[in-house]
Amino acid sequence: MVSSSEVLSLCRALLRAGRQFPDYNIREYSKRRTLDGFRMNKNLTDPSKVTEAYAEAKKQLFVAERVLKVYLAYPPKTKNIMEVKLQ
Amino acid sequence: MASKVISATIRRTLTKPHGTFSRCRYLSTAAAATEVNYEDESIMMKGVRISGRPLYLDMQATTPIDPRVFDAMNASQIHEYGNPHSRTHLYGWEAENAVENARNQVAKLIEASPKEIVFVSGATEANNMAVKGVMHFYKDTKKHVITTQTEHKCVLDSCRHLQQEGFEVTYLPVKTDGLVDLEMLREAIRPDTGLVSIMAVNNEIGVVQPMEEIGMICKEHNVPFHTDAAQAIGKIPVDVKKWNVALMSMSAHKIYGPKGVGALYVRRRPRIRLEPLMNGGGQERGLRSGTGATQQIVGFGAACELAMKEMEYDEKWIKGLQERLLNGVREKLDGVVVNGSMDSRYVGNLNLSFAYVEGESLLMGLKEVAVSSGSACTSASLEPSYVLRALGVDEDMAHTSIRFGIGRFTTKEEIDKAVELTVKQVEKLREMSPLYEMVKEGIDIKNIQWSQH
Repeated sequence: MVSSSEVLSLCRALLRAGRQFPDYNIREYSKRRTLDGFRMNKNLTDPSKVTEAYAEAKKQLFVAERVLKVYLAYPPKTKNIMEVKLQ
Repeated sequence: MASKVISATIRRTLTKPHGTFSRCRYLSTAAAATEVNYEDESIMMKGVRISGRPLYLDMQATTPIDPRVFDAMNASQIHEYGNPHSRTHLYGWEAENAVENARNQVAKLIEASPKEIVFVSGATEANNMAVKGVMHFYKDTKKHVITTQTEHKCVLDSCRHLQQEGFEVTYLPVKTDGLVDLEMLREAIRPDTGLVSIMAVNNEIGVVQPMEEIGMICKEHNVPFHTDAAQAIGKIPVDVKKWNVALMSMSAHKIYGPKGVGALYVRRRPRIRLEPLMNGGGQERGLRSGTGATQQIVGFGAACELAMKEMEYDEKWIKGLQERLLNGVREKLDGVVVNGSMDSRYVGNLNLSFAYVEGESLLMGLKEVAVSSGSACTSASLEPSYVLRALGVDEDMAHTSIRFGIGRFTTKEEIDKAVELTVKQVEKLREMSPLYEMVKEGIDIKNIQWSQH
C-alpha cells in the first residue's frame, strides 16, 4: 500500500515538473491534469487500485521529466500573448 | 599608513558607488525588462506586428503535439531505425514490432482489427485512396458515387477527377443545420452506385452526421460506405462496426499526433477491395507501397491510445470552454449566429457569423487570436466558404464567419481573452459600419434596392 505522504510528494513532483515547461499551454495543462488526476482518485481505497494509480502517475512523472529537458532546450522564441499581458 | 588610508578610501569609493550603481541598474533593468521585453516579444511577420504568440484557437486545422506523444516518438527515433519491412535482421524486427504495436493502438480506438489498418501519409491520401481506389477497382459494374456538398476538398476533388474519367457523382445537398437528409440519400442510391462517401465530423462547422443511420442505409442497399473521420477519431466515440463503414480515413495531427501520418481503415469482412494509388514493394497489404514512416506511425499510435484514455476528460473540459466562449460572445454582442447544428456537433468547434461586419477586416483585427474563417485550404481566398453556402447561409453572413477550434491545451483565460478581443473588434467595426447604423434605425437592409453608379 502506498502511503498518503508518498502520493502527496508524487503530486508535488509532477506539479513541479509541469511548472517548468516553457510553453504556456503545456504548463497550464499539466497543472490542471495533475490536480484533476489526483482529485479523481482521491477516494480510492482498494490497495491494488491505489498502487495502479500511483504507478501510472509515476510513469507520467518520468515522461514529464524526460520531455522537459527537450522542451527547455528549445524554448519558444517569443512568449505567448497570455504571458506578455500578465507581466 | 597613508597608503592604507588611500587604498581604503579607494576601496570605499569603488565599492560603495558601484554597489548602489549596480543596485540601481538592476532595478532599472528589471523595470525596463518588462517594457523592453514587451517590445522584444513582439513579432513582425507579414507586415503585422503582434505583441506575442497569438492564442491558438485553430484546433480543426491542426493540433500541437502532446508531450506524451513526443516522448513515445523520441524513444523510437533513436534506436528503431530499421526498415519495418526488413525481415532478415533485428533492426527490421524491432521497427516492425513498433509499427504493429501502433497498429493495435489505432485499431483499438476505432474498434477494428489491427489487420484492417493501412498506414498512409494522412487523411488526404486516405480519402483519395478510398474514393478513387474503390471506383477504379469496381469500374466495370459501378459507375456512380454519392457524396455531400460539405465534404472536405480532397474528397470533392477526387470525385471531380472521377467525373473526368466518366464516372457520375451525386453531390447531396445538406439541410440548413448541416446534416444530410437521409431520405435524399436513400433516393440517390442507384443499382450502379459504387460508393457513398460522407464525412463523420465536418471540419468547418463541426457537425456530426448520423453515422449509424447512414451506415444502415448503405448496408440495406449493399453499397460500400466511406467516411472521412479525420476530425472524429479520438474526439467522439468511433465504432466501425456500429457505423457499418467499409472504409474510414484518419489523421494523426488532428489528435495531438505528428503531421504526415494517417491511416485508412479497410474492412475485411465483408471484404472491400480497392486499387492502390502507390505501386511498389507491396507494403501494407499491397495497398500502400513505400517504407513505413516508423516514428510517425509510433506517434500516431501513442496519440490514439492517449486520445482513448483522455476522451471523456477532454470532452468535459472542451464543452465547458465552448459554452464559455459562446455565452461570452452572446452576452455582449447581438447578431451572432452559430453555423451548423448545435445539438449534433463536436464540442471543440464553434463556427460563428457576426452580422454587419466584414469578415476579412475582423480576421485582420484579430491578429492576436489564431483563428480562421473556415478550413485552412479556403481561408486564403476571399471567397466565402462553400460549406456555409451549402448550408444556405446568406452571402454576407458566410463572409463573416470565424471558426473557433478548442482543444486539450486551451485554457479558460485564453477563451476569456478571445471573447474580449473579438467583442472589441466587432464593436469597433460595427461602429464604422453604415449598415449597422441603418439596422439600428430599423431599416431592413435585405429590402434595400442598391442603385449602381
